[in-house]
Amino acid sequence: MNDDRAVAALAGEIETALQKPVFFSEILAAFKDRPYRTILRAWSDVRSRRPLARDVHGRYWLDDSKESSKH
Amino acid sequence: MSKPQPNIASGGRAAATEDFRGMLRRMEAEGQLRRVAKPISPRHITALSSQAPTALLCETVDDYRIPVVGGIYWTRSRIASALGWPEGEMATRFAAGAARPVPPRMVGTAPCQEVVLTGDDVDLTALPIPFMHEKDGGPYISGGVAFAQDAQLGLNAGCYRLMFRTRRELGIDLFTASDLRRYYTTYLEQKRPLPVAIAIGVHAFEHIAAAYKAPVGVSEMEIAGGLRGAPVPMAKGRTVDVAVPADAEIVLEGELLPIGWTADEGPFGEFAGMQGDLKYNPIFRVSAITHRRDPIFYALQMPWENDWLNGPATEAACLRILAVAGIPVVAVRATEGGCCGWSVYAAIRKRAGEGKNAIAALLSLPVVKQVIVTDDDIDIYDSAQVEWAVTFRCQADKDIVILSGMKAKHVDPSVQPWKLEPGELPVTAKFGIDATIPEGIPAFRYERIVPAFRSEVALKDYLDE
Repeated sequence: MNDDRAVAALAGEIETALQKPVFFSEILAAFKDRPYRTILRAWSDVRSRRPLARDVHGRYWLDDSKESSKH
Repeated sequence: MSKPQPNIASGGRAAATEDFRGMLRRMEAEGQLRRVAKPISPRHITALSSQAPTALLCETVDDYRIPVVGGIYWTRSRIASALGWPEGEMATRFAAGAARPVPPRMVGTAPCQEVVLTGDDVDLTALPIPFMHEKDGGPYISGGVAFAQDAQLGLNAGCYRLMFRTRRELGIDLFTASDLRRYYTTYLEQKRPLPVAIAIGVHAFEHIAAAYKAPVGVSEMEIAGGLRGAPVPMAKGRTVDVAVPADAEIVLEGELLPIGWTADEGPFGEFAGMQGDLKYNPIFRVSAITHRRDPIFYALQMPWENDWLNGPATEAACLRILAVAGIPVVAVRATEGGCCGWSVYAAIRKRAGEGKNAIAALLSLPVVKQVIVTDDDIDIYDSAQVEWAVTFRCQADKDIVILSGMKAKHVDPSVQPWKLEPGELPVTAKFGIDATIPEGIPAFRYERIVPAFRSEVALKDYLDE
């Protein structure tokens, strides 16, 4: 799988993981078999196209209905 | 393709013109830095640095061609090594350097611009930005020095953390009052982006000056020049009209977007050693990444590196305030347990009443929260001696000074900052212990025991080789 396809596939998996609140460290732990840079590139893609909500503890989740993170 | 290795084994320039990698080379020679050749993940750099007895230069970082160094200011001895100053002279050296600022010198060719990436080539994921603490909101650039420049406001340098968001964007913590926040607010009112450059991997002189709140009208880089004893070479950015240290390892150029405090940032492991809160802050959008051909990424390790960058300035402020109060001071020590700012020991050559005077003066400093004042026969770098003085020279009902309702910092949970209204500032109680010999007790009551005939023998003469 080339880099771009690996990033796109991982971005989809991260979006699935973000169906519930998770710390960033949990994302890293869940995909620890993937290259660190690939995770960051996939994270960048997720953040660029989907609004991420945060809770008071700093956990992330996808919440398209409520855009708590304006940017 | 072979992996480029930064040549920090060569150099040997004089301290006044030394750059970041020259400083690392000298620290390595002094036993304060160790190289690690085995591959290390960016997610393990902080865990390993926290276990290390020296700074670590991680030569091989998984997925990256850029080595990472961290822990270079973790202890008093390491920051003293980085600055090339004796440990006991950091306060006086800092005060002397800050008192004679030297303007920077602009140069046309800069090592930090040997490689220039703009447009589609800008990708922050190309940098080994480490993930540091369990509850952090993302990978962080913790060792950057932010530069802003304006015709009216002048050149400013300060230390700000930056959280990875996307390939081109970082969250920047401008939550608390600072010069950069003042610049940003001015531009925000005009709905203009603020051009900023982030220098990663600058010498301790520039970093400690940037961490210092310079007097109005004096640039932090002039202070750095005073500490160096020579002008700091600076170069204009390629995409922003902002000067940066020419010999930095890596520079991020870009703009603080005029969006105000709207983007999630944090949590991050704070300088007081506790996990911070989620905040809403501005975004730094990167327009260029410039770096040396073989850059070294600096990952400042929290909290002690951050704290020790403030330690010499805290101690210098203590010397200054005691001088203003006319108190003969012999030594001051900003302690690690007090994060090099909250807790201070001072040894003075006391005249009647000056133990309390010293406490009052030191507690007037904004951050200092607890003080112990001793006589000059106590080595305040030896905590056991300080405790001995408190034990035998202090009467708690007479020698403990408590002041209430003084200025505090939000980062201290004991002031319960979460109960404050927005914009309300916290206040705190402070205390000082006068551990000097009380008035009325003759000094001979404290005569120390001395081993008999100590000058006649040396233990080394009795030990096997």
